[in-house]
Amino acid sequence: MNRYLKLVHMEIYRFRIVLLVLMGITALCQMSALIWMLKKALSDLRGEHPEAGAYFSPIPLRISFEWAMFNTQMWFIIPVLLCISVLSLYVFFIWYRDWIGRNAFIYRLLMLPTARRNIYLAKITALLLFVLSIVSFQLALLPVLELVIRLVVPAELRADSHIIDIISSNQALVELIPRQFEQFFYMYGAGAVIVAAVFTAILLERSYRRLGILYGLLYLSGCGLVVASPILLFGTNESVIYLYPTEIYLMLLLLFLLVASASVWLGMRLIAKKITV
Amino acid sequence: MIEVTGIRKRYRGRDVLNDVSFTAEKGELTCLIGVNGAGKSTILKLIMGLTPLTGGTIRIDGQALEPKLYEKIAFVPDHLTMPSGMRLSEALRFMADFYESWNEKRADELMRFFQLEHSARIGSLSKGIAAKFNLLLGFAQDSDYLLLDEPFSGIDLFSREAITEVFTSDLMEHRGVLLTTHEIGEMEHLVDKAVLLKGGKVSLSFHCEEMRSEKGKSVIDVMREVYGA
Repeated sequence: MNRYLKLVHMEIYRFRIVLLVLMGITALCQMSALIWMLKKALSDLRGEHPEAGAYFSPIPLRISFEWAMFNTQMWFIIPVLLCISVLSLYVFFIWYRDWIGRNAFIYRLLMLPTARRNIYLAKITALLLFVLSIVSFQLALLPVLELVIRLVVPAELRADSHIIDIISSNQALVELIPRQFEQFFYMYGAGAVIVAAVFTAILLERSYRRLGILYGLLYLSGCGLVVASPILLFGTNESVIYLYPTEIYLMLLLLFLLVASASVWLGMRLIAKKITV
Repeated sequence: MIEVTGIRKRYRGRDVLNDVSFTAEKGELTCLIGVNGAGKSTILKLIMGLTPLTGGTIRIDGQALEPKLYEKIAFVPDHLTMPSGMRLSEALRFMADFYESWNEKRADELMRFFQLEHSARIGSLSKGIAAKFNLLLGFAQDSDYLLLDEPFSGIDLFSREAITEVFTSDLMEHRGVLLTTHEIGEMEHLVDKAVLLKGGKVSLSFHCEEMRSEKGKSVIDVMREVYGA
């Protein structure tokens, strides 16, 4: 196995417990919210607790997965937000954890007999894999949640739902799993570009320390300005923009590619030539 | 041979090192001596590419430092460089995974010699045990050169003896060792060449045996003259 893959493996191994805890919290939140909501809805349908209906949208005669998803929005959004927050913090911690503490691991990483760009690439690959594994876990959880519905709701009170309708009925899933691959690619691609820019800012700080904080902030502001430049130049009023939407879209794509290339190039250069421990 | 030629390092507006030149040969133990803040550790970091050079050149067997040379040159900093949560067995696995020059048999021998437990966590090691394991990570590589930063700092007498024993063993034969220290004491009889640093410059560089035979001075005598103590 080449050293890049070994480094990716190591980064995943170091984060495995947090990743499993996040998945556990997601499953627990969503499953318990679903069971609680289904129980309430069933008792309402049977006329045991008429006030229960106040919590949800009107209960249909037959409960579907789609309806259940629509009525447990919050308990899907909370774990999703938690995962996003933890992963966002880890974008910083994935670097700083190697510097902090008594035993600075960065010494060892920088002295590995492999190109230093592999350290950078392994960290960004690991983060991408964490995001994708959480999204995959969420998708894999859906059939389990459907099984929960089958177990809790009797067949005569249950209606079938299509997977697309299930995802569309829940705002968290709509954002997390876009319906078209193109949208998925753009959304997660933009996320990867932001991570690359932040990595470069962190490496600027690690290379130039106090002055590096300023360089990092300036770099991030510069990246923000570059990708926002079409909006700054042309505004948002489509009727007065003399470019076709496809042209603006192409321009944005190129600007994102420019920021991604600049960030990766600069990041790799910093870790190879300028980093200091 | 490690050739350090006219290196300079500027840090936070201050010249930490200014025109430092010396060589460390294979099969010799070269000692960088200086008071705290003399720039000894910085020199080792510069050789290992852990901080950028401001000026000058460093060559290892005639080559500029590149990643594959990390198989040839091992560095033992003054602290352990493995994550606190790792077990010693995991750290050994990590080294075996990443270094072709890692010698597992020697690592096992040293684990037994230093009486280290595979299951212990790095974060729970005492200072002496951590120092022994730190040295093991350097010694168990089949490298041509070994750089050691203050290997005896804060270590008890018995641990020092155990470590000194390794220096006199065949483990160190044919290797070039470059170490820094501000306490030459128990190392003096092992040192082949001394490089005395003062104010970021090389004050004096000499072969200890020649100094003893020609001028009748020990390293400590020369240090007294140079540092005026």
